[in-house]
Amino acid sequence: MYKDTVIDKKLVHQPKFIGVFFGVWFVTFFVFDLGGSIFGQFLAPVIGDPATSGLYGRFVVAFVLGFFLTLNIFAIGFLPTQRQSLVVWIELAICFVGGFHIFNLSLEFIQSKIWFLISRGLFTTIYVSVISIIFAFIVAMIGAIAKLSGNGFAMGIANFYTSLLRALPLLLLLFLVYLGLPQTGYVIDAVPAGILALTLNYGAYMTEVFRGGIESIPPGQWEAARSLGFTFGPTMRRVILPQAIPIIIPPTGNMFISMLKDSSLVSVIGVWELMFMARTLGQKTFQHMEMLITVAMVYWVLTIVLEIFQRRLEKHYSTVKETKE
Amino acid sequence: MKRLIKFATMALILALGTGSAWSGEALDRVMKNKLLKSATSASWAPQSFMNDKNEWDGFDIDVTKEIAKRLGVKVEFVTPAWDIMTAGNWYGRWDISVGSMTPTKARAKVLTFPAVYYYTPAGFAVHKDSSYKDKAELNGKRIGTTAASTYELYLKKDLVIDAVGAPAFKFDVTTTAKKIRSYKDSNTALDDLRIGDGKRLDAVLSAIPTINAAIKSGYPLRNIGTPAFYEPLSVAIDKGDKELQYMIAGIIKEMHEDGTLTALSIKWYKTDNTKTTN
Repeated sequence: MYKDTVIDKKLVHQPKFIGVFFGVWFVTFFVFDLGGSIFGQFLAPVIGDPATSGLYGRFVVAFVLGFFLTLNIFAIGFLPTQRQSLVVWIELAICFVGGFHIFNLSLEFIQSKIWFLISRGLFTTIYVSVISIIFAFIVAMIGAIAKLSGNGFAMGIANFYTSLLRALPLLLLLFLVYLGLPQTGYVIDAVPAGILALTLNYGAYMTEVFRGGIESIPPGQWEAARSLGFTFGPTMRRVILPQAIPIIIPPTGNMFISMLKDSSLVSVIGVWELMFMARTLGQKTFQHMEMLITVAMVYWVLTIVLEIFQRRLEKHYSTVKETKE
Repeated sequence: MKRLIKFATMALILALGTGSAWSGEALDRVMKNKLLKSATSASWAPQSFMNDKNEWDGFDIDVTKEIAKRLGVKVEFVTPAWDIMTAGNWYGRWDISVGSMTPTKARAKVLTFPAVYYYTPAGFAVHKDSSYKDKAELNGKRIGTTAASTYELYLKKDLVIDAVGAPAFKFDVTTTAKKIRSYKDSNTALDDLRIGDGKRLDAVLSAIPTINAAIKSGYPLRNIGTPAFYEPLSVAIDKGDKELQYMIAGIIKEMHEDGTLTALSIKWYKTDNTKTTN
């Protein structure tokens, strides 16, 4: 949404909205009957034993929950927009993490395993992803230039590549590389097989991103360079790409975040990355939930770090553009 | 940018270089490298798992270590998925699998089974609250099991165990193909059964030691009926190396005779599973 100077009355402070909001939540909570949950126990002083409180208990729980939820958004409505966003984010995070309470997790177990999980798994996840994204970047650059080159052979190869590789599920590609390649006589290890599959898959997607980025440079730039006597290579290198790369970098960051999680697929061929560790460590004592949730948190933290990094990158490139103009 | 490309190219060469092709006899390779590479699962207690100190542990692990010791080499464990292991064509990625594998006819086409080292009773588990009393009542019910396992084959009535000394069995429980729920591993099946009686599954067919381990960890399950069948479990190697086959067969025979396997079985299963007991 674009910023403008039109000031609307705040939606969350309009009585009609508040009424409807409260009503919807009240009905929802009433229908789902949260009497047996932690909220029922919390309100036990008012409604007595939640199990025997019946409709009255249900009503009270739904009313109180609905009331606090409405009060919450009403209060948040007074904050400036940036703060609102932050508070809502934190509140949702608390609800999410608080939700783990119901799994009855053993913190001791998590503590005993988390260091091993991070030292073995996190490192592998990161280096597999980083190497793959670097190769994918190179593949995509070559693919995009080939698609735009006007050379029939190069275009044919690039079009075939993006068409086929975007059609194959990553897991299938991984099996093809790991199990199929040795039949041609070259035995590939698990980690290189994973890197190769991720590179080919993401290279295909990124080829399209790069092509879009390069095509977004106005044709005038191209024509000007050609009229100055530049051939295809120098035009690309010196005129088009320096302008296209700032456009290409942000979506590449997005791809990297996505790859970080897709790299978990290499666990099926026995690479000890985060997901493999999660599936393995809790098995003996049947505490998989602990490990899965821990790894979910690790992925989340990792993604938050990358998000911050990506935002900086975007900002960096946008200022470069402004100063140029 | 130039530096980046240079770095990336070097990384590619390094990454691919480590997976060099290998051809020749497996035994020579093991002896030359002084290393036995064993494919195993890291999540199959009490056969093979990571213990509290995050080290390899379990019955299969102990047997592997003993084999390596008698070969006079070190041992390293790798962890490909089960279906990759059973598919054969290992290309020298690993030398052996001491993974409680049943030597079925289909598997014998792609793998070599030098020797049976113990037997596992396979049985059905139901939820604690279930009303079933005998496995015969499980006919036509939703049964969870591991994909590409002998348990799945049993449910499909496709199981043929052609190993020497395997006790005969009958297909007592039949269920329609639609109601067989195949999971990636038996723990996921047990997880679905624990949710509640008949919620997602009515029963699970798995190794009785695995079921017992789950019950010990607080899963609300119970064993039902007598074991469906006894699985002979064998060491597996890739096709094409008779020397390694005879070497392993000799070592396993020795371990049967001197009581090593019995001792390990009692250590991990509390009973002697190295002989068929009906």
